[in-house]
Amino acid sequence: MSLQTAHSPARRATEQLMQVRGLTMSYGSGAAENKILQDLDLDVRAGEFVSIVGPSGVGKTTLLRCLSGLLAPKAGTISVGGQQITGPHPDLAVVFQDYSRSLLPWMSTRENVAFPLQGKGMGKAERNALADRNLAAVGLAGQGDKYPWEMSGGMQQRVAIARALAYNAKVLLMDEPFASVDAQTRFDLEDLVIDLHTNLGVTVILVTHDIDEALYLADKVVVIAEKPATVVDVIETNFGEVRDQVETKADPRFAEARARILHRLRDH
Amino acid sequence: MAETAVSTRPDNARRRTRTVRTGTSPAARLLERSWLIAVVFILWWVLSARSTNFFVPSLQEILAVLARDLSSGVIPDGAAYSLTNLAAGLLLAVAVGIVLGLILGEANRLRQVVDPVIHFFRSVPQAALVPLIIGAFGMGQGPKIYTIAFACMWPVLLNTIDGVLGVEPTVRRFAKVYRIPPGLYFRRVVLPAALPQIVAGVRVALPIGITVMVVSELFAATRGLGFYILNSSATFQVPETWAGALFVGVIGYILSVAFVLCERRILRWYIKSGAK
Ligand SMILES: Nc1ncnc2c1ncn2[C@@H]1O[C@H](COP(=O)(O)OP(=O)(O)O)[C@@H](O)[C@H]1O
Ligand SMILES: [Mg+2]
Repeated sequence: MSLQTAHSPARRATEQLMQVRGLTMSYGSGAAENKILQDLDLDVRAGEFVSIVGPSGVGKTTLLRCLSGLLAPKAGTISVGGQQITGPHPDLAVVFQDYSRSLLPWMSTRENVAFPLQGKGMGKAERNALADRNLAAVGLAGQGDKYPWEMSGGMQQRVAIARALAYNAKVLLMDEPFASVDAQTRFDLEDLVIDLHTNLGVTVILVTHDIDEALYLADKVVVIAEKPATVVDVIETNFGEVRDQVETKADPRFAEARARILHRLRDH
Repeated sequence: MAETAVSTRPDNARRRTRTVRTGTSPAARLLERSWLIAVVFILWWVLSARSTNFFVPSLQEILAVLARDLSSGVIPDGAAYSLTNLAAGLLLAVAVGIVLGLILGEANRLRQVVDPVIHFFRSVPQAALVPLIIGAFGMGQGPKIYTIAFACMWPVLLNTIDGVLGVEPTVRRFAKVYRIPPGLYFRRVVLPAALPQIVAGVRVALPIGITVMVVSELFAATRGLGFYILNSSATFQVPETWAGALFVGVIGYILSVAFVLCERRILRWYIKSGAK
């Protein structure tokens, strides 16, 4: 996924990369147990873009924290590349919901992107070069010396994405990454992520409560609902590799899929 | 004196620095900040000029004695000794306070066990412990340094713990997901995140250190500013006592100004990001 190693083109891969079986999660225990996720299954192929859509409070963040190894599930298994994960894993990078708070304000954007690479033991020159290349890939060429707090929300978002890309994980996990920016910035960032996915072949799992966003971005939309949450529908979209904010959303298949998701969510 | 408000919130630091920055010309700002001191000294000079009270000599006399003992080397020698103790004590306090604070801030179980002990020790008036520590560890320079360090450590320790507890949960999650190794995590994540609070703790520790520095030389000492003050007052050389106290006050003021300047450099990102 790093910029120098081109993977096979996206949206054509078929190889199974991530597999979730019987994922069950709850907060608290005994009488105070609050069941959030129940017996959830998920399959992600290499190079696939999967959206997980569900109403607020259904447990999307909880699900993503399980997938990223931050929370240990009560039951079930999560595996990446056939290997079961028990905690944070080098093949998994996360773009957080409150991206602005996950960037470190005492580091420049270059240092922010390079920092996890330092943790991997990479030398300074190499990690800075990689940081600059990934900043350029998200449209922030030459902005490495700026600090996050000198940037708009949308730009901070791009830094967080560059950091995840530079980490060179196989799977990018994103938790409502565009929920707190204005509409135009949101469209720009959506298109950026589509471009990165297409050009770099990175596998993306993105969680959102926005049905249009889920459909627009993904190859596959996984609908979760109910309490405790479980998968209620899986929709393979066929809008092709090139997407357009106006045309794709005007596609009759788009409207059809949206109606189907709305029905599913209403019925549960 | 150790009971000075310990949790000097960094918000205050930010607000104060901002008002300082939005000044007019440097000369006007200097005037604005120093006129009151000038007035106090002029009033002191005028009111004490005809003093016949043995314990309140005229400022003129105090300054004359100060000038004499400065040029004779008595005060500079004492200052060198005392300030060495202060610097060593503060450094020790900051080092131990930060390291312990980082560990206790991260280790929740351990902190809950140790917490009552910390609050007990920090509530004991530190000056009262001085004769005990010196009695236990002997005369020399070492016990004085340890006394200063002991007294100064509490605000640094408590503020460091506070700062660590205030680290954004998202920042912690980021460090976990991206598998930042522990050493790097402490050095480049927790320490900078807690730094505004730590600096506030050191600012509180500084005047405590100066007081304990003086007090520690009231017992079993043959050198230093505290000794100079005690010795002169024991032999009824009242102007010398005043001169010594005045000198310590000036040192304290200079150190606090120097500290604010350092603070602004160390917390550049914090001040700038907050001011935006
Ligand atoms: N750390 C936690 N402890 C206890 N309950 C939690 C915790 N985090 C989330 N919850 C609860 O779990 C449910 C799902 O939360 P979340 O996963 O954040 O939903 P979503 O991201 O879909 O909005 C909510 O009802 C929330 O109150
Ligand atoms: Mg959420």
